[in-house]
Amino acid sequence: MSKRSLALIAALLLGASLGSGGASAGSTLQPITVFAAASLTDVFPAIDRHETYSFGGSNTLAAQIAQGAPADVFAAANTAIPAALYAAGLVEKPVAFTRNTLVLVVPRSNPAGIHSVYDLENPGVTVDVAAPQVPVGAYTLQVLKQMGIEQQVLANVASEETDVRSVLAKVQLGQADAGFVYATDAKTVAGDVTVLKVPAWAQPKVTYAMAVVTRSRNQAAAKAFVAKVLSKAGQRVLARYGFLPLPQPVPGKPAMVGAADT
Amino acid sequence: MWRSSTRRAEAPPISPSLTRATLLSRAAKGGAAIAVAGSALGRLVGTAAADPLPDGDLAYARLLVTTELLAIDFYSRALAAGRAGPRLAKHLRLARGNELEHYQSVAQILTGAGQTPAGASDITYLYPRGTFAKEGAIAAFALTLENLMVGAYLGAVDGIQTPPLKVVAARIGASEAQHLAYLATIKGLASFEAFPNPLTIQQASNALDAYTA
Repeated sequence: MSKRSLALIAALLLGASLGSGGASAGSTLQPITVFAAASLTDVFPAIDRHETYSFGGSNTLAAQIAQGAPADVFAAANTAIPAALYAAGLVEKPVAFTRNTLVLVVPRSNPAGIHSVYDLENPGVTVDVAAPQVPVGAYTLQVLKQMGIEQQVLANVASEETDVRSVLAKVQLGQADAGFVYATDAKTVAGDVTVLKVPAWAQPKVTYAMAVVTRSRNQAAAKAFVAKVLSKAGQRVLARYGFLPLPQPVPGKPAMVGAADT
Repeated sequence: MWRSSTRRAEAPPISPSLTRATLLSRAAKGGAAIAVAGSALGRLVGTAAADPLPDGDLAYARLLVTTELLAIDFYSRALAAGRAGPRLAKHLRLARGNELEHYQSVAQILTGAGQTPAGASDITYLYPRGTFAKEGAIAAFALTLENLMVGAYLGAVDGIQTPPLKVVAARIGASEAQHLAYLATIKGLASFEAFPNPLTIQQASNALDAYTA
């Protein structure tokens, strides 16, 4: 393992909660255990309801895999974390499998009167974000920086969460005036929140990647799960839940994710 | 509204070959105007290397790149629709050529800062239903678009902090104002404004949101 890989894993560990992710610690035979980004909570069981899932922040799950947690497949909300695990020899070569977009959500009652991302600069607004180590937190920072309002909005951040669903819950319950989540997460609570666009010119490229965990004792089933997600049927389910297809996919040749493609 | 990526028959899609590289290449062949604008940017790149551009200036560059991409897409679709008479079609071709050159100028700000500007395929373009159905509708949307662009560039002149970039924004804004004046004339609008209103970056962004995703 190279020094660079070790450094990447150390960074993941530092940024991650080391608590239990709720993964099955039992048999490594069927069903396999899939560690997946929180934003995949609804769609993965719809693709395959027979597996055991552990959903959370991609960085937290990666840290657990690095510590030896019994995962067979890892699916993250970015390409950088799987690439880092691959470089460290902890997962097989990752493949990109879907995309998403970032949106701003506000409570239905919208007490702070927020109508665009720029309104997050207003004094007294409470913004909820994911921690910067979590993919959605990193994307949030990217949006704010690209819009030139990073410092102003960060001054209004009241809380940092460990995953995207926690941000969504805070806004849904009215504990924050606004938060950045994926478009697919916002759809799950459509009646409780109002969705505001992140401008196209500041939208980050949100690409998901997944990989078979090197230590998995059920490689065949793990590879079958990856194939199922990449299949036409799997992609149709992802689309039904609002995920976006990969740009210009080559039939039968899913996009490979390398260290440079992050 | 309909999305440009759909197969609805209102207008054929623009060439898929309009990638970022193609846009930059076409603009590079665009003639003397870009060479002049490019010289201003050349000085800027030297400045930027020693002193990074403020985030606010880069935000303006991203916004304006997307505005130019929308304009290029619109003019390309309007020409492909074949509904414009010779007089308007000539304007559409000239305007599209200008927008390609503007795209390159603004994109260079981002590439000079070590960033990747958006390309045509990075944006989904949204147009009101019927935009390309008749010559009058094409001219009306062009007028709306050029109003937005004049306002956005005037706002950029005020909001951008780096002096050479202000010059570039002012010159492109003047070009967009020429498009606007021509369109207003053929639409029978005789009003001229002594002091057209600038748009703040927020106003320009909100206006652009209606046509991009």
